[in-house]
Amino acid sequence: MMQNTKRQSSNLLKLIILALLGTISLVLFFLNFPLPLLPSYLKIDFSDVPALMAGLIFSPIAGVIVVAVKNILYLAVSGAGDPIGVAANFIAGVMFVVPVSVLYHKFKGVKSIVSGLVAGTVIMALGMSVLNYLFILPAYGWFMGWEMTEQFKWFSVYAGVLPFNIIKGIVVGLLFVPLFVKMRTWIEQQQRKVA
Amino acid sequence: MNNSMIIGQYVPGNSLIHRLDPRTKITIIFFFVFIVFFANNLVSYTILTVFALSSMFISRVPIRFILKGLTPVWFLIVFTFILHLFVTKEGTVFFDLYLFQFYTGGLIQGIAISMRFFLLILMTSMLTLTTTPIEITDAIEDMLHPLKKVKFPVHELALMMSISLRFIPTLMQETDKISKAQASRGVDFRTGPIKERAKAVVPLLVPLFVSAFKRAEELAMAMEARGYQGGEGRTKLRELKIEKRDILVYLLFACAIAGLFLTRNY
Repeated sequence: MMQNTKRQSSNLLKLIILALLGTISLVLFFLNFPLPLLPSYLKIDFSDVPALMAGLIFSPIAGVIVVAVKNILYLAVSGAGDPIGVAANFIAGVMFVVPVSVLYHKFKGVKSIVSGLVAGTVIMALGMSVLNYLFILPAYGWFMGWEMTEQFKWFSVYAGVLPFNIIKGIVVGLLFVPLFVKMRTWIEQQQRKVA
Repeated sequence: MNNSMIIGQYVPGNSLIHRLDPRTKITIIFFFVFIVFFANNLVSYTILTVFALSSMFISRVPIRFILKGLTPVWFLIVFTFILHLFVTKEGTVFFDLYLFQFYTGGLIQGIAISMRFFLLILMTSMLTLTTTPIEITDAIEDMLHPLKKVKFPVHELALMMSISLRFIPTLMQETDKISKAQASRGVDFRTGPIKERAKAVVPLLVPLFVSAFKRAEELAMAMEARGYQGGEGRTKLRELKIEKRDILVYLLFACAIAGLFLTRNY
């Protein structure tokens, strides 16, 4: 009985923590800024940081849940004006967060975080380039009733999607490494608390 | 911080559209999004436009709020229109500008496709303008109910969504407060190279995470003290109920769809 209540309460706590991390993620999502020289719809934000935090404290799946909560909240708050963009943001977030979390849980330590961030950036940049070329850009084209030319798609990927995701990964990494160093003991403390 | 973001787009009101069951609204908008792609001539577009505009007028949401919802996609709408105007070369030339000839076919296609965009966004923003995020969450929980059979955690998802929504204003205020507190200590968030700006966010995030975890612990404890034990057997303060007005709106929508399929070109 005692065991049962304990497990249940840590489950509820986990649920609430992930919900609040999702909220922080949404708040950070609104504080975005565009990059010079890239199209204005590609914006950098730090909304992946709470998801990374969930991925480190709990598991890769927790990170994915935080990314999902952020995107569903965004839909419920601002309307589904651009559903393709929201789906793309979700996939990009997952591709970035999961490698970091997996590598951290395997090796621990700052080195695993750095290599995870590098792997995450590469996977996100390459993955989003392929997805944009094959699905996302054609989907927008279909919405606009316009068959996109090969040249246009290549150009968008090479001049937009690929550099953008690399820069985004680097900027988020530049923030996350010092954040992790600062919060490492706290993170380990939370791991024990909810385990 | 942007004030309009705090409560989302919701505009309080008591119109027919506001009082509709959120499930009705979500269902109709879901099908509307599909139906829009079937419109292909003046009459069928007119039917959909009349449907969308009349729901807009019945909701009595001020036009400026609706236009504000359109801002993120204005660019796409205008871009689509211009693209079709320049690229499509069908019909007769109606305007000659030395280098470019504008064709009637391009003009018509440009108008049709931007109209399609406009209708899509108008209808989806009608949902968020007249329904509170909590109502939307409730409706989604109810509509996903069948997924419980395949062990999908519908209740847990809905609980997370309502908690998150509840804490958006709280955490926004907190972010604002912490960033002001850090700014008063000389942290610069706004200027400098991207690398410096990324580092400046660290002292903002540390207290934000720590206090969110504390809040979560308090909330979990408070919920358990009040006997929360998961979704099983939990009752609701506000039950969703399909009323006569919902059936009426479904019928009107069915008429619009029938009209569309009778008038479109094959």
